[in-house]
Amino acid sequence: MNERIRRQLDFMNAREHRKMRRVLSEAEWTSLCEALQDPALPLIERATRRLERFLEMETPVLLADTDIQFLRTLTDFPDIYAPGELDEIRAHHFVHEHGKVCNLACDYETVLREGLEGRRARLLNGLDEATPEQKEYAGYVQRTIDAAERFADRYAALEEEHGQAAQAEALRRSIRTGAQTFAEALQLFRAVHFVLWASGAYHCTVGRFDQYMYPFYAADKAAGRLTDEDALSLIEDFFLSFNRDSDLYPSIMWGDDGQSLMLGGCRRDGTNAVNELTYMAIRASLALHQIDPKLNLRLTADTPDDLYELATELTRAGMGFPQYANDDVVIPGLTRLGYALEDARDYVTAACWEFIIPGTGMDIPNIGAVPLAEVARNTIMESLEGAKNFEELTEKWFENLKRRSKAEFDGIHDLFFEPAPFHSVLMANCMEQKRDISLGAKYNNFGFHGTGFSCAVDQMAVVKKWVYEDGTLSKARLLEALSTNFEFDRELQYQLRHDAPKLGRDDEAKIVAHQLIEMYAKSLEGLVNERGGLVRGGTGTAMYYLWHAEGLGATADGRSFGEALPANFSPSLFITDAGLFSVLSGFTLDNLSLLPNGGPFTLELHDTIFGAPDSIQKVAKMVRTYIRMGGHQLQLNAVNRETLRDAQLHPEKHGDLIVRVWGWSGHFVELEKAYQDQIIARAEFAQ
Amino acid sequence: MKGLVFAIEEMAVHDGPGLRTTVFLKGCPLRCQWCHNPEGWEPRPQRVRNPNGCTGCGACRTECETACTGCGRCLSRCPRGLLRISGKWWDADALARRVLAAEPFLRDGGVTVSGGEPLMQPEFLCELLDRLRPLHRALETSAFCAPDAWREALKRVELVYIDLKLADPAAHRRYTGVSNEPILQNLAHLKTSGVPFIVRIPTIQNVNDDPANMQATCRLLSGSKNLRGVELLPYNPCAGAKYALLGKPYPYSFSRPTPSALETARSIFARANIPVLIR
Repeated sequence: MNERIRRQLDFMNAREHRKMRRVLSEAEWTSLCEALQDPALPLIERATRRLERFLEMETPVLLADTDIQFLRTLTDFPDIYAPGELDEIRAHHFVHEHGKVCNLACDYETVLREGLEGRRARLLNGLDEATPEQKEYAGYVQRTIDAAERFADRYAALEEEHGQAAQAEALRRSIRTGAQTFAEALQLFRAVHFVLWASGAYHCTVGRFDQYMYPFYAADKAAGRLTDEDALSLIEDFFLSFNRDSDLYPSIMWGDDGQSLMLGGCRRDGTNAVNELTYMAIRASLALHQIDPKLNLRLTADTPDDLYELATELTRAGMGFPQYANDDVVIPGLTRLGYALEDARDYVTAACWEFIIPGTGMDIPNIGAVPLAEVARNTIMESLEGAKNFEELTEKWFENLKRRSKAEFDGIHDLFFEPAPFHSVLMANCMEQKRDISLGAKYNNFGFHGTGFSCAVDQMAVVKKWVYEDGTLSKARLLEALSTNFEFDRELQYQLRHDAPKLGRDDEAKIVAHQLIEMYAKSLEGLVNERGGLVRGGTGTAMYYLWHAEGLGATADGRSFGEALPANFSPSLFITDAGLFSVLSGFTLDNLSLLPNGGPFTLELHDTIFGAPDSIQKVAKMVRTYIRMGGHQLQLNAVNRETLRDAQLHPEKHGDLIVRVWGWSGHFVELEKAYQDQIIARAEFAQ
Repeated sequence: MKGLVFAIEEMAVHDGPGLRTTVFLKGCPLRCQWCHNPEGWEPRPQRVRNPNGCTGCGACRTECETACTGCGRCLSRCPRGLLRISGKWWDADALARRVLAAEPFLRDGGVTVSGGEPLMQPEFLCELLDRLRPLHRALETSAFCAPDAWREALKRVELVYIDLKLADPAAHRRYTGVSNEPILQNLAHLKTSGVPFIVRIPTIQNVNDDPANMQATCRLLSGSKNLRGVELLPYNPCAGAKYALLGKPYPYSFSRPTPSALETARSIFARANIPVLIR
């Protein structure tokens, strides 16, 4: 890190940039509400107008010590709905989260190359023959392009005032006709990403940084304009810009802002995509130690060892990334569901871990969740008594899964999305088709999470082994204990927790896991949504691991009523006597590609594992072996339980402690206690 | 045959080359005063209680506490799940299968058998090592055992970590409770065995960190072609942390050696052309 970046980092850590923000006055707020929330206006007019006004009311500010400008100065801005209007919409529609287009990956490759005028040209091409609706739509899109260009021009004017004529020229030109250098491409990305956030979109992902930026980097290098040292500084500068406004972005907790960046993997033609920028991005993140952007790394058989090792250094830094994904499992999973091979090879992660396709995907990968743990419990409670053998019980289990998946799916119809003209500018095909992204794209699949995967497996594994095979546990005793929350049978609860088969330790459980993956995937087959999309199953949980645990009765893995479920695709919180190799092996299942929505296997590594001189090589080798064995996705967290405990008691001393939560990393001291407790419980396993 | 094991650590990063699993056999004839792992002492299963989170409710009290056989029937009494049994009888075959299940990870690394003192269960140890033959096998030992057992074990390993705590017999007896005579005999055999070995010296201030002890240890090692190096393990002040698990007080107070004492020790071995690593 050079002096300039260091100064900027200090400036940001001291929150100096926040002093340039302003809160709208009450009068401004009221007048904006009047202008934006008029129910007589169509929503697209309001959305367009909101972006125009937002950008007009922003105050350009030039920051020192950076080449990547644009700072958000407005803390908040009114939404486009009149009071109660969105509730009214909800009464007749399925509104996903806030009803805004979110969690997509834009076609930055094209946008950076051709600029907003290039996008406009595509929109205008053939517009004469278009329908009146398309023509009207094009008008709104052009207004958002105009607004973005005007906004960039105001920044350019300010740069001129400060004697930065070259930067001003570059900004004016690149926002219109595309970037010509690496530095311009980074600034252009920042500009359009800024406008995208301003448009009300959220979980604005970053995509394949090392791919779409590479042509600019390579051209600069070839022309002798750029050294690798300067390139690294530029990337650091660029990465810092993601942290300037992130506390203002809509999210559940600070940190869950979805600025996920994907590195490595293969190209659209299947060849190895790793390049110099792949390494530099990791080095930049390592130097900065910031929450954003959240790095993801795609792994293939071609991934070089030194990249695994560099990535492991980032793991050691303790921020919970990179998150790994295995191309050899992910890509076949996507093509199996109907994604074109070239598109599948281009996959990135959405805000957390779900796989989405840049430009052409309007998938909603977190639209629902199947409570796997609950379905297993219900099956046992209702059918164990009558089922003569495990096969009979499994049939009931499958029926219940099908019913539950169908019910979850049936609850999603008449989708409502707010029109998103500027977001459409950044997506592929929307300009050509003169059609808003909110109405769908090439891919319109739904993704379901699956909560309590290991809990479901462990419940069924103990029934299979102890009740049916060994006959050491009677149906009556188990059912009685479950219905009384183990109040009168602590001994059984203890045995179920400690001695019963557990996924990640015992082969019996792995066989059941294999079965569950197959049944869960089958339970979603044949469901076609109103946009023609399918349903992708996954083993991730997001926050559902807390919600689905709340009212859930005692389970046959020894879990009491209401007790936590593990997050994501992870072993039981009760597992003991299982080391890292056992759990890693236990969670490599050869049919995971049947669940193409993904689900990160989340593992806490105690930080003492990094205490040996060759620890980096060893941990890297462990990750590589896991991937070669067929692991799907992996989140590694380097934690120290004592540090976490201390941070809970003395948050003032641990402001910089960053941990992985479910699909994202955040400051530990700023998490709600329930999440903190869960992370501490996971850390116990690492001990 | 069956052997008593108190821990299996996967991804043990300090116990040899590559990715490794370390198996800890329970039971040790030594009572080193600086021992950080008293769970390894008793050659029988025993109940341990995690003191963190204990409210002292007393639900765990049993009449058989003083004559605990480790049957485990009382574990469910603790409402907070803080009890466990340390020490599990494993069939050598089953244990080897358990270790080998992670073979894809261990391919470039291997397995290390440690303790306690693994040679306190020599037959079990040999059977286990035989069954782990596909892997690179390391043994971590005090070498306090009968010469026959020692020779048999050496035939079955590719690397030995041997602890040399004190060269002086009287001091050795005082701090570890046993004579170092069998250890030195076994060391002499090790030097001629051809099996690569690494010497580990837990280094404790005013116990064995003096130049005299280091020089004497260095002399003991002279002329061994299969010696790969010496590791100095400075005393960790947290050594007493696990005593509370067993309900034992930690009665000693030792200190970490000073940096200059470590440096002196390092130079003594370095002068004899022995590679030194300070952990």
